[in-house]
Amino acid sequence: MRVEKTLTIVNKLGLHARAATQLVKLAQTFDAEVTLVQGNKQASANSVLGLMMLESSQGKEVTVISEGHDANEALKAIEQLIVEKRFNEKE
Amino acid sequence: MEIKDILSPDCTHCAVQGTSKKRILEIISQVVSDHLPSLEPSLILSSLLCREKMGSTGIGNGIAIPHGRIEGLEEVVAALITSDTTVEFDAIDNKPVDIFFAIFVPEGQAEGHLQTLAMIAGKLNDKNTIKRIRSARGNVQLFEAITQ
Repeated sequence: MRVEKTLTIVNKLGLHARAATQLVKLAQTFDAEVTLVQGNKQASANSVLGLMMLESSQGKEVTVISEGHDANEALKAIEQLIVEKRFNEKE
Repeated sequence: MEIKDILSPDCTHCAVQGTSKKRILEIISQVVSDHLPSLEPSLILSSLLCREKMGSTGIGNGIAIPHGRIEGLEEVVAALITSDTTVEFDAIDNKPVDIFFAIFVPEGQAEGHLQTLAMIAGKLNDKNTIKRIRSARGNVQLFEAITQ
């Protein structure tokens, strides 16, 4: 199964080191292969360095692509972390 | 921006003897304080410890990026330390760490910091750079490994 969704980075600090680490930790709990695409750059959700190289600041749109038997669940969890929980940050 | 804009040779130390996470962070703090004598090592250390409390900066594959915000700092400053033996760092992949790229940013300048981070990540994500860092003999070679 392959699902994808474009999300907007809403937290003030963007996809910085701690946010990227949270995303990798979350993605690791699923079997699905998750990739983030921003413009012409893409990164595996397994790589903190890769995610930091996206330079995703507040307001940027990233497409999350999730592939695997639990692709839906992985995508939902990641959407929740990025959009609803804003990486557990206040602003 | 390039690595050499934030990292100077005197903040680049190869094969330090660090046996614990705390000891490595203390060495980093001393190195940066020697470079910027107006900053007390204890102030630098507490900024690093404060960040580690929020979650380890061990990002996997033996690499950590300890960092902190420091009041009174005028511009971003970095230190690159490698240890002669690997150190337990509570890293994301549970592997011990031997490459420490420390970053200090001025307090209140959290935004605009993503670009610096992306530049550093690009370097550390390069397998050849990491190979050169691990095989460097001495501080000069280590500095060349990260800046070339």
